[in-house]
Amino acid sequence: MMKRKLAALASVAILLAPFDGARAKTPDDQLVIAMSMSAIRGLDPQELNQLEAAEVVANLYDRLIELSPDKISEPKPSLAESWTVSEDGRTFTFKIRSGVQFHSGNPLTAQDVEWTLHRLVKLGLAPSTDLRQWGFSADNVDALIRATDESTLVVETPKVWNANLILYSLASFSTSIVDSKLLQRHEKDGDWGRAYLQTADAGSGPYRLKTWRANQLLIADAVPTYWRGEPAMRRVFLSHMPESAAQRLQIDAGDIDIAARLSYTDLRGLEAGGEITVDKTPGFGFYYLALNQKDEVLSNPKVREAFRYLIDYDGLSATVMRYYGIKQQSIIPAGLPGAISENPYKLDIEKAKQLLAEAGYPDGFSKVYYATPVTPEYEVAQSLQANAAKAGIRLDLQGGDHIGKFRGRDFELFSARSGERLPDPHAVLQSYATNADNSDKAKLSGLLAWRSAWDVPKDIQEMVTAAAHETDQAKRVELYERINRAYLASSPALVTSFQRTDAKAVRKEVKGYVGHPTWLTRWDTVTKSAVPESSGSESQ
Amino acid sequence: MSMSQTTETSTASPARSSRFLAGGRKVATSFAVILTTLFGLLVITFVVGRLVPADPVISVIGDQADQATYDRVYKEMGLDQPLYVQFGSYLSDVVRLDLGQSTLTKQPVASDLARVVPATIELATLATLIGACFGIPLGVVAAVNRGTWIDHVARVVGLLGYSTPIFWLGTIVILIFYAHLGLIPPGGRIYIYNEGIIDGPTDSIIVDSLIAGNFEIFWSAIHHLLAPAIILGYAAMAYLSRMSRSFMLEQLRQEYILTARAKGLGKRPIIWRHAFRNIRVQLLTVVALAYCGLLDGTVLIETVFAWPGLGQYLTSALFVADMNAVLGAVLLIGMISIAINLLSDIVYRFIDPRTR
Repeated sequence: MMKRKLAALASVAILLAPFDGARAKTPDDQLVIAMSMSAIRGLDPQELNQLEAAEVVANLYDRLIELSPDKISEPKPSLAESWTVSEDGRTFTFKIRSGVQFHSGNPLTAQDVEWTLHRLVKLGLAPSTDLRQWGFSADNVDALIRATDESTLVVETPKVWNANLILYSLASFSTSIVDSKLLQRHEKDGDWGRAYLQTADAGSGPYRLKTWRANQLLIADAVPTYWRGEPAMRRVFLSHMPESAAQRLQIDAGDIDIAARLSYTDLRGLEAGGEITVDKTPGFGFYYLALNQKDEVLSNPKVREAFRYLIDYDGLSATVMRYYGIKQQSIIPAGLPGAISENPYKLDIEKAKQLLAEAGYPDGFSKVYYATPVTPEYEVAQSLQANAAKAGIRLDLQGGDHIGKFRGRDFELFSARSGERLPDPHAVLQSYATNADNSDKAKLSGLLAWRSAWDVPKDIQEMVTAAAHETDQAKRVELYERINRAYLASSPALVTSFQRTDAKAVRKEVKGYVGHPTWLTRWDTVTKSAVPESSGSESQ
Repeated sequence: MSMSQTTETSTASPARSSRFLAGGRKVATSFAVILTTLFGLLVITFVVGRLVPADPVISVIGDQADQATYDRVYKEMGLDQPLYVQFGSYLSDVVRLDLGQSTLTKQPVASDLARVVPATIELATLATLIGACFGIPLGVVAAVNRGTWIDHVARVVGLLGYSTPIFWLGTIVILIFYAHLGLIPPGGRIYIYNEGIIDGPTDSIIVDSLIAGNFEIFWSAIHHLLAPAIILGYAAMAYLSRMSRSFMLEQLRQEYILTARAKGLGKRPIIWRHAFRNIRVQLLTVVALAYCGLLDGTVLIETVFAWPGLGQYLTSALFVADMNAVLGAVLLIGMISIAINLLSDIVYRFIDPRTR
């Protein structure tokens, strides 16, 4: 009996022996990124609408224009070697880089660019708004966007817009250039190759798709003949790891290089450990509170104003929002034209009580409050609930997926975060500060202002439209500053508290992984070096 | 025995045909029960799926999309049809063996299932083996030594396995054996940078790596499998040891045991040749139940150990209201459970002559 027990123990030891202490580090020429992949629902650049999938597409494809993360407002050449804009500001002529090949081996020409942009507009899926918002439609796009020869593309806009708006749109993931010949071969029932492209790669980017298993893993291999040079990371892995704790343990042990879904406590713990840096990418969106203006109580401007005094901006900044947001009460994200650094509001229960009394609600009121039950949105909501209670407002906080109700205007209070991809104030303002038709039947459900049933003051809406068409940059900046102040003073139904930042933990030996505010983080700029001496790993 | 059977069958053909008829009726009844069970399973899952508050359209198009896009995708997904029409068209596809396409993976559900099931089968099979190999002897020994310290220890071990939440145990094991001691891998079926090297025919990495002759990946796969399988196996062991203890106690109280003792038979033959022989059928039932339970009960351990199996597939589909995937997975789990039960019924016939 004893002998048998010993044999059993020995066999377990033998199984474990080859691995004893052999904690694996990721190879030097490969990059492992952990994230929650459950939102990646397909890899078609003209269909997807989501951050993680956009990062993949950013690396499988190229675009005409590039925006580097450090100078986000400066359009740079990419597949377009150069471009000119006509006198009247409506015609853009792009010279397409020659000698670029798709992963299939097909050469990339101006015809592919034309086909791609037509595909985006004609499919009419969520990201098509990148071009449709400038007046392109299925009916006019054939005439307005055309390849005049192998290497020239002409884009005419239906109206005059600020040129940057058009150029920024051509730097978006949705305008990633696809291999038209390949997709035409896989076309089924006039679907522009949509069924095929969900899980395939038709790009010319620095990486080619090797494997994608939804909610499990994605493997992309470097393209040695890439026109900007061969990427240093031979292979990139995305690993589905929705648990923050699991990401923390693995990045700590070196089994992953980058962790993209960490809680506040785990980020703080990792940062304190010294082997990891936290990369905070500012995004063009906000943590917001929406007050439904169809509600009699909430449509009172003094009540709206009272809510601004019930948010603990400083307390949250120091704790749960430390990695997820930067305090901001105005509406134009920092770093964009017209941004101001004024934050006049702070937590002030007495002031809120006084405003409620002036509004005719000295004893407060009761409302249902929907919030998404994820970090940090829910903690922010709980903090508001506690402060509101002190001022007499009883909020029945309900977690869950209430986006559908918000889109249908069927709510009282709702909070979440937004994110735009155009590095221009227009994108945020369009959603937060325009609402051409506030009726229920208008169904402008893409706009946060319409969802909140907020009839935005007409002067603000007119200024937003004027600024988008303004071609003089100085005048535009001035206009945006005026809009920003007017919005701040308007007791808006959409109360902004923090500009969103997306935090990722990156191991110190990984260089060049720079979070991109318009979701186009690149892998071909990544290298790995030895861990610096000061990081405390000298005992190895 | 075979002689007597031959004689019997050759001389009693009316009896044989009536038995054949009875047998046929039995098969038909079982078949009807199976079909009704699967149908009921689908109806309930379908209705519950529609009651889940997640909006399947928004999970496809994103929150910011405009109403026109929303309406278009709503129609594309067939959600504008009445519920019974949606269910009817789903059912008619299922009958033609088409489980539809997953909105999450954009792949046919059938091929998704073929990919994730081997991972769960690897895990559940090893866990059941561990549970049976340790749990049954433990239960028997505890019953034989009833009331002694051995019994107490066995019961405490069983109770712990029964009452410890698996996800907690999994997390603690990862924390100690991965994060602190570095003895086990972090999760998954192999190290992530070993992925994409072997694309085998079976989707079982253990089998595929053996076929490819890549022993490094084979050992890596075994090593990855051990911790989750041992934890699951521990839970199965707790269940099986409790059951075998009580089955055994019942047998040990029987008169034939007393007779055997009176005949002067040794302790070991009494336990293993007499008492244990008689609990095999019951044990087979509980082992089959444990195996079924593990197949669909691996959800938590699959999440903790990032094990890309059926449980993980089902939960992630549920979160995004990917109903084709949910229905397909539930249907498959139902079919596997039925198959295992049928199989155990067949095995009974071999080990217990009374059931023939």
